[in-house]
Amino acid sequence: MSDVNIKKLKKNAFRYSKVRGETASRIRIPGGLVSAKSMARIAEVAETYGNGTIFVTNRQGVEIPGIAMEDMDNVNRMIQSIIDDSGVNQEERDKGYPASGTRNVVACPGSRLCPFACYDTTEFARKMDKAIFPNNLHVKVAFTGCSNDCAKVRMNDFGIIGMTEPQYDPSRCVSCEQCVKYCGLRSVGALSMVNGKVVRDTDKCIGCGVCAYYCPTRAWTRSREHYFRLVLLGRTGKKNPRMAEDFIKWSDEESIMKIVKNAYAYVEEYIDRNAVEGKEHIGYIVDRTGFDEFLKWIMEGVELPEIAQINPRPYWGGKHYDKY
Amino acid sequence: MNKNPYVPFSSEILDVIKHTEKEYTFRMKFAGEVKPGQFFEVSIPKYGEAPISVSGIGKDYVDLTIRRVGRVTNEVFEHYKGQSLLLRGPYGNGFDLSLYQEGEVVVIAGGTGVSPVRGVIHGLCETKDPQDKYVIVGFRSPDDMLFRDDLKVWDEKLRLTLTVDGAPEGYEGNIGLVTKYIPDLPLKDPSTAKAVVVGPPPMMRFSVQGLLAKGFREENIWISQERKMCCGLGKCGHCRIGMRYVCLDGPVFTYVDSKDMID
Amino acid sequence: MGYSFSREGFDAVLKALARTYRIYAPVTFAGQGRFTDVDVVRYDFVTDASQIEFGKKSEYAFKELLTPLSETLFYFTEDEVKEADAQPGEVLVFLRSCDLHALKRLDQMYLGNGFAEDPFYKRIREKLQFVLIGCPASFENCFCTSMGTNRTEDGYLFSVEEQDGKILCEVPSNLKLKQLFMENGAWIEKALPSFVEENDVRVTIPATVPNSIYKAPLWDEYTARCIGCGRCNFVCPTCTCYTMQDIYYTDNGRVGERRRVAASCMVDGYTNVAGGGEYRRTKGERMRFKVLHKIYDFRRRFAYDMCVGCGRCDDACPEYISFSNIINKVDQFVKEEKADE
Repeated sequence: MSDVNIKKLKKNAFRYSKVRGETASRIRIPGGLVSAKSMARIAEVAETYGNGTIFVTNRQGVEIPGIAMEDMDNVNRMIQSIIDDSGVNQEERDKGYPASGTRNVVACPGSRLCPFACYDTTEFARKMDKAIFPNNLHVKVAFTGCSNDCAKVRMNDFGIIGMTEPQYDPSRCVSCEQCVKYCGLRSVGALSMVNGKVVRDTDKCIGCGVCAYYCPTRAWTRSREHYFRLVLLGRTGKKNPRMAEDFIKWSDEESIMKIVKNAYAYVEEYIDRNAVEGKEHIGYIVDRTGFDEFLKWIMEGVELPEIAQINPRPYWGGKHYDKY
Repeated sequence: MNKNPYVPFSSEILDVIKHTEKEYTFRMKFAGEVKPGQFFEVSIPKYGEAPISVSGIGKDYVDLTIRRVGRVTNEVFEHYKGQSLLLRGPYGNGFDLSLYQEGEVVVIAGGTGVSPVRGVIHGLCETKDPQDKYVIVGFRSPDDMLFRDDLKVWDEKLRLTLTVDGAPEGYEGNIGLVTKYIPDLPLKDPSTAKAVVVGPPPMMRFSVQGLLAKGFREENIWISQERKMCCGLGKCGHCRIGMRYVCLDGPVFTYVDSKDMID
Repeated sequence: MGYSFSREGFDAVLKALARTYRIYAPVTFAGQGRFTDVDVVRYDFVTDASQIEFGKKSEYAFKELLTPLSETLFYFTEDEVKEADAQPGEVLVFLRSCDLHALKRLDQMYLGNGFAEDPFYKRIREKLQFVLIGCPASFENCFCTSMGTNRTEDGYLFSVEEQDGKILCEVPSNLKLKQLFMENGAWIEKALPSFVEENDVRVTIPATVPNSIYKAPLWDEYTARCIGCGRCNFVCPTCTCYTMQDIYYTDNGRVGERRRVAASCMVDGYTNVAGGGEYRRTKGERMRFKVLHKIYDFRRRFAYDMCVGCGRCDDACPEYISFSNIINKVDQFVKEEKADE
């Protein structure tokens, strides 16, 4: 097989491999939760068309290596059940994934499994994936259940960190001070005792939920509403790797959906048309247009809840290998 | 009179005596019946209620020796003469002085443990054979001594051994733990002698061991327990040891009872 | 005499009762558990039968009504003390057999230990009436059968139990109630509450416990495992300990209020005395103190065991420490000691 459209192959979620004539199938697992049945199918593909091994990727997908380029159609037919099962948007059945630019939406196990998580990360990640995929733009979105950021969302263009607004019922508080102790040990130390009851420094509080987790009497509980911290424009890479910076504290789900979708329109408008393979990280575009322009675009039609706090001037540092 | 036992009454501070940097005796107006070893729940401003044992009893007053701790400032302790404090009590069984009238009696007290037995020792002074009454009192250092005036009187009337755990060079008194003096007590018959031991838990434990080794009988040894107590009424639970409540059944226990009172 | 109600019929009864009583019952609080989107069942006042959680064991016990987690006793000024007002009105408390047995323990401590009754407890207690919730089956971790608290013959106004979509009530003796029940439901021959006759968890309580238990190695495990959070105590229907707390409104510390808050013998500070003394430092010692109280020390004082076997402590422990398992370990230890004699 000598004539292969590599651009098309890549867009179809196959990999350009260093072994000539071989490729790898890149399976998308939004939210990192996959059914055992799909997992079995992945193994089957690896056994049938691959070399019997599976790469688990950093972004919670899998890559099945050692596939002959001739077999791509067969593989696409075989992974149809996985695509169906994961609910990922598709353009044509049995033709595999329609794009690969927008990366798999990552999520930590979240409240389905983890006692610290402040929301169902898998569900939100799937919802996000539905809204932004397929798309060729190189965008990374990741969800993490709480401020521990196990999903390392700060390395993404959009990082969503779960928050809960602690609710305090002083009539159930027995001054055991465990919340104060553990907020200090495991979190930011936003709690203090005043006259036998607990006072929360709302500016300091990061909404991690450690107080509600440790409270033995349900004096501290979680808010009915789930809140999110949205961090922006983290990235790895050769030029200027950097951590995402705080943008909104106490955001709601709807606003985050809108902001991410708005960002696509902004990128479409301002992306460098001559970028290599049409790929440019949003952060570099924002560096070019200025943050204010970006802000104008992403906040279009966004109505934040009253509690939300916005940081209008985030500053990114990071290493500048491209400048001295 | 309010029947609610939690509601304290106001009592005038007749006098304040400073013993050390931290310990003060408050002479409080009180005309009811009290026994040495009993205690009051005292509302200490800026601290809260604390169980304080009676360190002295007069016709219309009680002495309460209070150690200044934590947030409580000197101001609270030194400028209250003429003012009042809220009290509840007296609580607890206290010492039965009639038990210590005749024969040989040994009182061993350490530190603030002197407060609850001060009345007992005063009682010993009034007995007809004070030379059969032995008192061993220990403090951490010469600076920590309480009731200095009493110590002089006890030394005259009874057979007092005053000791300190440690002292700066040049100190002329006894140095050593109270337990050091137990074996040498010149008792005629330890098997009928009685003993009262009050102080920090390890001091009481080792003193009792010393007394038993000397030949004292378990039923002739009394100790007084100090525990956290929020009510004095057998409700708050803090002072329970095994099946007993220190506030109700104590704080004075015979060694026979206290043997199976393990925290 | 028994009655059968539709849901609407029972709700009408409850609404009528609500005119006389404040009604206190287990309620599901959505999302108020420890973890995200996890509920908690605890007690609260209700006005509607649909608010009552009949299907689950309440995680926190009804005792919060009698011994509030935080209760202001009185307000003090320079020379005056004013008792805090009591909540007015009679209260109807919905509870299960084990909890009705627990009530006896609460009464024992607050009304029957020592020379004085607790007036703050008494003024609430006097206004309580009870409705017994039947238990058709044991919940997880319950060991009421071993503790003899699975059955309750009296001490309640009527019983209530859900069966096949119907609500069944048995009224032992109360003419007024019978009339109300007749108006809203149908008379049936039998509506007796179910009692649990068997639990998966069984414990054996030793008749006496030797002092060697204090040094038994079995407690060491809990020094390592227990985190001293006190949940076992706070959820227990028979734990009664509290700590007094003064709050000052003025700088001189002479005007303020006195509160009491629930205390736990597992939590740091429980035995601390002024000057820094602490009588039980390790979690193992605290566990031993708690366990022996529930199954031995209380009995030595009052001739019956304190623990009612509701298993809430096991349900609540974040470290998966099982109280019933410890009871059996203590029993095993006692048996081995006896064998060695």
